[in-house]
Amino acid sequence: MLAEQLINGLVLGAMYALIAIGYSLVFGVLDKLTFAHSEIFMFGGYVGVATVALGLPIWWAIPAVILVAGCLGLMVEFVSFRKFTTPDGHITAALSSFAIGIVLIDLTQKIWGTDPVDLGIPRSFYTASVAMWGIRLAYIKLAIFGVTLAIMVGLQLMIMKSRIGRNIRAVAESTVSATLLGIDVKRVTQQTFFIASALAGIAGLMLAMRGGFADSNVGLSFALKALAIMAIGGMGDVRGAMVGGLVIGMLEALAFQFDLGKLSEVLVWALMIAVLLVRPTGLLGRALAREVRA
Amino acid sequence: MTAEYAFLTGINILLAWSVYIILLSGTLSFANGAFMAIGGYVAGIVTVKFGLPLAAGLAAAALAAAVVGLLAGYPALRTRGIYLMLVTVGLAFMVESGVQNISYIGGVKGMGGMQGTTIYHIYGAVLVVGLALWKLTRSPLQRLLDAVREDELVAGALGVNVVYLRLALFCFGAALAAFAGGLYSHHMFFIAPDHFTVIVSVFVVLYVIMGGVNNMWGPVLGATVLTLLPEAFRVVGAWRQTVFGLAIALLLLFRREGLMPFRMASVRRARRS
Repeated sequence: MLAEQLINGLVLGAMYALIAIGYSLVFGVLDKLTFAHSEIFMFGGYVGVATVALGLPIWWAIPAVILVAGCLGLMVEFVSFRKFTTPDGHITAALSSFAIGIVLIDLTQKIWGTDPVDLGIPRSFYTASVAMWGIRLAYIKLAIFGVTLAIMVGLQLMIMKSRIGRNIRAVAESTVSATLLGIDVKRVTQQTFFIASALAGIAGLMLAMRGGFADSNVGLSFALKALAIMAIGGMGDVRGAMVGGLVIGMLEALAFQFDLGKLSEVLVWALMIAVLLVRPTGLLGRALAREVRA
Repeated sequence: MTAEYAFLTGINILLAWSVYIILLSGTLSFANGAFMAIGGYVAGIVTVKFGLPLAAGLAAAALAAAVVGLLAGYPALRTRGIYLMLVTVGLAFMVESGVQNISYIGGVKGMGGMQGTTIYHIYGAVLVVGLALWKLTRSPLQRLLDAVREDELVAGALGVNVVYLRLALFCFGAALAAFAGGLYSHHMFFIAPDHFTVIVSVFVVLYVIMGGVNNMWGPVLGATVLTLLPEAFRVVGAWRQTVFGLAIALLLLFRREGLMPFRMASVRRARRS
């Protein structure tokens, strides 16, 4: 039982990590938080619903969600972040993206209603499982964990090796220097938003595929925790978000195992506060010097 | 219906001022919905469970929130900027979850029986707080606060006790939010944890940012506009929420500094000598 819970925790943590990476990428590049991120995550599940409703196989939802969520991210960047460049801009940007989130929730509920919507795929899709070492492993959970791991490795490679990744790191380091070196900061910002939002969308799709339904309330109850996870791991650090997500997922699963389910809601926030008080930039965070004036 | 909107506007003005007071020293608090919850419940316990008058309930509410503000603020105010913002969000979630799990005050089902707030109480409170803020605007304290907000290091070097000032304002803001929460609960007759979610906290901050952070009238305007806006959008029917969200995004885009961005002079007009 314990092993099964731990695997559930890993799957949960993988989804947390995907969302947290998105927050972290955006924060790294812009030093700003996006509150629309959690609703893009929520929308990812509904892209899955729409794909199935169109009669396409569920796997088609993955490219669809990358495209749709990515474009939503570009829209959020244009409306809520492009104009707010002053030092106080992070508050305005956060609130503006929050407003976009409201619109996104409302439009989703207009189309699909306020109740969770069934994905419309056969039950066997998410109950089919294999027994291994006496543990029951659902294929879908294995798939989720595998895909997430692949994405994380790919992302880390992309950030460290590719041209886009180098540009993103340069802008994260210093916008001014990056501009002087001929990097198109606007373009890099857009790329970052596209990637971050696509990751959130994929995570949302995975959550929907795991449970078999899409829910318009998960933005607030699920994705916002990733914000705390990002802060625990270290703001603007992708590896911190990965590790933080997996650890929190496991801890929540353990809390359920020992019948402390109520605790799991508070756990992540309490942990975040504790970490920030001891290490104000998170466990793997950058040196404080850059953040003093944030 | 009109009376209901007048009531909500008054409460929201008080809440907006509670964020504004904390923001005076450069601290942005997303926990004021939580302080409001503390106020609503403490005042409710005092009046319903102990049968004391409303005034005692409100006093207890303000005191309780100030103590929580002190305990939470002392460590939390060591962080800055976005980190501080996150800590207050965390605080809001923890209070919400705490309230949900205390069965003495009804848990998720909520608590009922509070009554006695009239519209005169609300606007009396608005008037008193408004006068106090007006006095503050004209006082040397405002200049100290401006100094702390604009450059903490310089203010500290000039001998201003920055930590003390921030903490004091955090407690004052918390107490005011709790006071508003107490008034709110005794008007609504019934409160539940989901009246005080993080969304409420975000909206209160929105009132202030949208109105303008540099003078005491900005939060008033922001709270009034955003409380009455959904009503004005009644014509669009079911699309109200969408239009409201878009309106906020557009207003922020085109009035980046808020509706009333000017800074009030903190000295009386110079005496000519």
